[in-house]
Amino acid sequence: MTTKPAYVLEANNITISFGGLTAVNDVSLQVPFQSIISIIGPNGAGKTTFFNAISGFYSCDSGTVLFQDRPINGIPTDEVANLGISRTYQNIRLFTNMTVVENILIGQQPRLRSTFLDAILQTSRNRREEKQSIQKASNLLDFVGLSAYADDMAKNLPYGAQRRLEIARALGNNPHLLLLDEPCAGMNPQETAAMIELIKTLRSQLKIAIVLIEHDMKVVMNISDSILVLDHGEKIAQGTPEEIQSDQRVVEAYLGSGTENLVEKYSQRKAANRKAVQPHVF
Amino acid sequence: MKTLFSKSIQFGIIAGVILIFSELINLTSTFAVILEKLFNSAKTGKTASPLAIQILTGLVVFFIAYTFLRKKNGSKSHTAGQEIGSGLLMGITAGILISLLNVILGTYLAKGQDIRNYLDAVSPEVISTFLFQTDIANAVIRYFIATILGGLAASLLHLVSSKTNVSGKISKFIQKIVQQSKIRIFLNKYPYMTTILTLLVVIAVFLLPVLVNAYAISVLGIVFIYAIMGLGLNLIVGLSGQLVFGYVAFYALGAYTFGLLTAPKPFGIEMNFWPALIIAIFIAAIGGLFVGVPIMNLRGDYLAIVTLGFGEIIRILINSNLLADFTGGPQGIKNIGQPTQPALTAKIFGKPFDDNVWFLYLILILFLVVLYVVFRLQYSRTGRSWEAMREDETVAQACGVTVSSYKVLAVVIGAAIAGLAGAIYASRNTYTGPGEYAFMVSVNALAVVVIGGMGSIPGTLLGAFIIKGLPELLRDLENYRMLVFGALLIAMMIIRPEGIWPVKRRTLSVTPESIEVLKKDLKP
Repeated sequence: MTTKPAYVLEANNITISFGGLTAVNDVSLQVPFQSIISIIGPNGAGKTTFFNAISGFYSCDSGTVLFQDRPINGIPTDEVANLGISRTYQNIRLFTNMTVVENILIGQQPRLRSTFLDAILQTSRNRREEKQSIQKASNLLDFVGLSAYADDMAKNLPYGAQRRLEIARALGNNPHLLLLDEPCAGMNPQETAAMIELIKTLRSQLKIAIVLIEHDMKVVMNISDSILVLDHGEKIAQGTPEEIQSDQRVVEAYLGSGTENLVEKYSQRKAANRKAVQPHVF
Repeated sequence: MKTLFSKSIQFGIIAGVILIFSELINLTSTFAVILEKLFNSAKTGKTASPLAIQILTGLVVFFIAYTFLRKKNGSKSHTAGQEIGSGLLMGITAGILISLLNVILGTYLAKGQDIRNYLDAVSPEVISTFLFQTDIANAVIRYFIATILGGLAASLLHLVSSKTNVSGKISKFIQKIVQQSKIRIFLNKYPYMTTILTLLVVIAVFLLPVLVNAYAISVLGIVFIYAIMGLGLNLIVGLSGQLVFGYVAFYALGAYTFGLLTAPKPFGIEMNFWPALIIAIFIAAIGGLFVGVPIMNLRGDYLAIVTLGFGEIIRILINSNLLADFTGGPQGIKNIGQPTQPALTAKIFGKPFDDNVWFLYLILILFLVVLYVVFRLQYSRTGRSWEAMREDETVAQACGVTVSSYKVLAVVIGAAIAGLAGAIYASRNTYTGPGEYAFMVSVNALAVVVIGGMGSIPGTLLGAFIIKGLPELLRDLENYRMLVFGALLIAMMIIRPEGIWPVKRRTLSVTPESIEVLKKDLKP
């Protein structure tokens, strides 16, 4: 019996570059079991690239990614899903012309065994699996609160529901680790609150570790155990929400250096605008 | 006002140009003859009567004018006088154009010049038909009467319908019927009725071969062979989303394998029908594997070009003199074997079926088998994975679908089905040659899938009837058959871009269980 690994995911010194541009430079991250870790950073900081690296979309130029002590560098994404990592996407990517249940059935792909021959011959395995997977899909839908939409086309769902559906689909393969790319983007305060609740339940009830990218600081500060801050592809800080909030480098990354003069500059510009002859020009 | 004026003239010109074009290719008189036959079944001969041509001319103007008025009225309304004036203007414009043509043609005729050198369809007889067998001035007056009446009728109809909103009411009424139709409610109430109806249709189809004449049997045979092909291609294009153009290659592989195994020449194997059929399917599937593996990483148009090339390679190979010893070369393979009827049918029905009837039954049975297979595949994990790939390949792979192997699987199964269709086709004709595997076969198979509705099984059958059956129904149109056929296809794709019978998603969800079950389920 092997010992249980310390971390569900370990990314060590990851570097990815596109041509001359180094998108991610020497970034490391350890994800403990059942933790929620946020990645933040200004636009173009390399967050999604880093995400793509650990979910197998890109292969790293250097560094290693270990999933439960098992290297997963450069293996195809379907095998990554097989191991138990799933993800959602920044711009929602559902199978739009399929129903909600069918979307989740696709998410369960790695857990199903029946082949096309089983399907043609209607073997008992095929029937059993079909029944079980549909039941599981319905359970998952109930869990994320989308039972009412079960047989609608995915493209007809409202925006917030589509985000939830993506999460339900990602849960289909019994993941140990869930990667959420901006789960609250474009949501109103109520929807955001509901999403925070859902993410917390994912961890508490289903014991899944979660890594998420998010711009909404309220969400990030609310749910994260630990926050990783990237800027220009480099890790500039990592720590608890309290530590990050008081970190001078993080503030600089977001607002630029010399922020102390910001208020002054703003009032100066406002005054200049008031003086301007044409009020509509800006 | 000014825009109405200029737009009316514009639409009048459109109507006129349509009339001129139809006359120059002699389409008008063909249609006029059909029109007459509708009302007068005793009518024989191919010369259209003046009245029919006039009515047809008026109808063309009428439809154009009515379309114009209806569209125009959406933005702003016009007075009755303006509308009538607009209709009149359109009629006059169209009349001027068509008369101009007839004056020119009439002058040529009077001078005794034959213009068939330039316009193939316009013989002196045609011209005199269009001139109503009278002189030019008389004909011009008649054309003007027709077009002006057409324009006026359109404006009057539009006036009446817009004042009383008749068309709106009618369309609402139709919508109501369609939405709340008793049949649909009835079917929803008693689900087994759907099964019974389906059974009735199947029985009707199975009675067809003994009911219809030999010509219809041969048409039905082709229709069902194309339906089989369509089902196979539907797996590749409609479900897995790979635009494969050279589908004819697999069809040819099946036909030639079957032919070589059962014909006395060139190899003299003369195998039985069924083992030869199975080997043909197998060889076509291997062909699918050979094509499927290299194209696995190609998408969209690149895929189309590569598979197109493959189709051409097969066609050129079977046509080449180099391989003539093996494939019969340009002459093809003759005396391909046919299946023998089992003695059982003769016992049950007293006498054996005619050969063509029996073969149609065979095609039907094989069609049902293929139908069952593709139906099972489509509504299984495999079919869903194909559809997910079609929707978003990257995400499908990240969800755990092994995209490359599923792609190859789709091509292999599709190829096997095409091989089956090809083998039946060769056996039915007892002959196969390179001329039968032109690019058009691939295009037709693709059209079957697209017209019926991508990924839809009943749509494919419907598509086969339209692509292969409809041209036969249009035989009355003679030379204009394909023209009208093309126009119908265009119209269908504009009216129903998703195909005639788009896929209906199934209701799958069941009542959820408690979260405890889910927790246990999701335990890593």
